[in-house]
Amino acid sequence: MNREYFEFVCPVKMVAGFRALEHIPFELDTRGSVRPMIVSDKGVVAAGLVDIVVKAITSEGGQVGPVFDDVPPDSSMDAVNAGAASYLESGCDAIIAVGGGSVMDTAKAMNIMATEGGGDPRRYAGYNNLKHRLKPYIAVPTTAGTGSEVTAISVIKDTDAGMKTFYFSQFLMPDVAVLDPRMTLKLPPMITAATAMDAMTHAVEAFTCLAKNPLSDAYAEAAIRRISEWLVPVLRKPDDARGRLELAQAAAMAGIAFSNSPVGLVHALAHTIGAMYGVHHGAANSIFLPYVLEFNLPASRADIGDLLFHLAGPEDFAGTPVERRAEAAIARIVEMKEAAHAICGLPRTLSETGKIPKEDLPKIAENSLDDGTVVMNPVDVTYEDALAVLERAWGD
Amino acid sequence: MSPNPNIIDTELSPAAGRGPSYAIQRVYAGFMMWLISRLLQAASAVDPVIKKDIDRLPEDFSFSMRVRSGSPALAMRKMGDDLRAVQPSALQRPALVFEFKHVAHAFLVMSFQESTPRAFANDRLAVDGDFACAMKIMRSLNRMQALVLPRFIAVRALKAYPPIGIVEKLGLAARIYGRLVIDLFKRDPS
Ligand SMILES: NC(=O)c1ccc[n+]([C@@H]2O[C@H](COP(=O)([O-])OP(=O)(O)OC[C@H]3O[C@@H](n4cnc5c(N)ncnc54)[C@H](O)[C@@H]3O)[C@@H](O)[C@H]2O)c1
Ligand SMILES: [Fe+2]
Repeated sequence: MNREYFEFVCPVKMVAGFRALEHIPFELDTRGSVRPMIVSDKGVVAAGLVDIVVKAITSEGGQVGPVFDDVPPDSSMDAVNAGAASYLESGCDAIIAVGGGSVMDTAKAMNIMATEGGGDPRRYAGYNNLKHRLKPYIAVPTTAGTGSEVTAISVIKDTDAGMKTFYFSQFLMPDVAVLDPRMTLKLPPMITAATAMDAMTHAVEAFTCLAKNPLSDAYAEAAIRRISEWLVPVLRKPDDARGRLELAQAAAMAGIAFSNSPVGLVHALAHTIGAMYGVHHGAANSIFLPYVLEFNLPASRADIGDLLFHLAGPEDFAGTPVERRAEAAIARIVEMKEAAHAICGLPRTLSETGKIPKEDLPKIAENSLDDGTVVMNPVDVTYEDALAVLERAWGD
Repeated sequence: MSPNPNIIDTELSPAAGRGPSYAIQRVYAGFMMWLISRLLQAASAVDPVIKKDIDRLPEDFSFSMRVRSGSPALAMRKMGDDLRAVQPSALQRPALVFEFKHVAHAFLVMSFQESTPRAFANDRLAVDGDFACAMKIMRSLNRMQALVLPRFIAVRALKAYPPIGIVEKLGLAARIYGRLVIDLFKRDPS
């Protein structure tokens, strides 16, 4: 009997491409909002991106509430509380997040508080602990990586509790995701490369981990194809609007893929070195991706081999014997890492991050096994396995 | 696939045709949950690998595994150094909950037709609570199953069968079952 089963959901309206921001007034109006609050961070405001969004709204006679720009990297509970208080005091009726994953995740958690009217945000943490819809939420990503604009997840650093608080609920998915190439044109090369490799990792892990299904596969493949084609050209020519849009679309598609087929060991290791040493999430994923794929070969050879088609194109795929496709696919990912390293210095190995003492590898291995994402990895991971991958990823 | 396309596969509709009824599935899953909690209690006292993970759980940690509608359920709490099976009703708000959406899904796992990671991947089973604790409990449950189940059944429940020698396995299994019997004759602490 066929025992296959899967679930797939993505109710987010995509508004993508040339002059996409100018659709925001319509999206607000049709959701009954007259006073949206804007959530962002200092870097994004300094890049002039919030101004562009505000002008697109006010030029049509719309109003904008306060701009909350106090979001730190990886978010914080304090920012969630302060932002929600500002929302409630100023009588706003919707949230627009303009920023990367840190901003979008913070705005999601703020929206819980804004809807519930305050209280302790930790009360709603965890899995499916929201029971009703939240206020209209429009996500305008300014990095092309996390996919937070289409996911049901928010992760908030909670310095008081010394941990990361995790929220998962379908109600956290934005109502609208606006992908406009103007938002990523000035993204610095290093962040462009790191966030694109985060998206690449989302797609590759969605395609190779246990919950893969026909729909998540379709999104993952489309994302991988775009990132393989456009990452290096965009790093060489950062103001290529077409390439920027392709990467933004790829990040959203990778987000749809991994929110329906969760990630595995690459993310477990990346979460751990992110928490222990503050290594950027995308840079960390980029380091581990090829080493983890090699580790997963016994279970995923066929799937990884299929990826060669999207990583290298039909000719290379057809020209490579079936039994060598998986290795060729991994080699292609290594090539992308080399190119990104040559152009903008994206670290290729753990030693190149300059942040990690080699004698900590055992501790990293141990902590990684406590990350929930290892459950979805196609190959069972023991402490010795994790340590072996870390040692390979160390480099020389 | 049925060999004869005219025969509808009744496993697809347990309520409508043959195959265990939901009532029987519930009784079976309830018995297995009872057994799992007792076996894990015994294994955590006997096996050094499991003990190490349980030691690293916070003081007063508790968890439950249940079907979303409420029953069947199992509950365990860390008391001192031990992990003990307790009455599910005795836990006000467990720190960690493993939840099956439907009794049929619990039955699939408890009858070794679907592995735990597969049940997670198929959105039949979910965790609410601290992931680091959840991973320690899951590792312990996996190891316990590898020890007490015959290998041909354990491989259906686990992603990978651990490299453990038959002598070591049988020795630990005997001690776990022995401990289980001793625990049963002690007064239930809940
Ligand atoms: N919710 C999810 O599904 C999900 C998935 C993956 C990661 N995340 C989270 O996302 C966070 C990382 O997000 P990120 O990688 O997008 O980085 P980020 O949001 O932390 O931004 C990194 C830096 O880039 C700057 N920046 C952003 N856009 C810019 C632009 N267009 N021009 C100039 N500077 C710009 C920001 O000011 C910031 O200093 C992590 O906290 C991670 O946990 C969430
Ligand atoms: Fe990620």
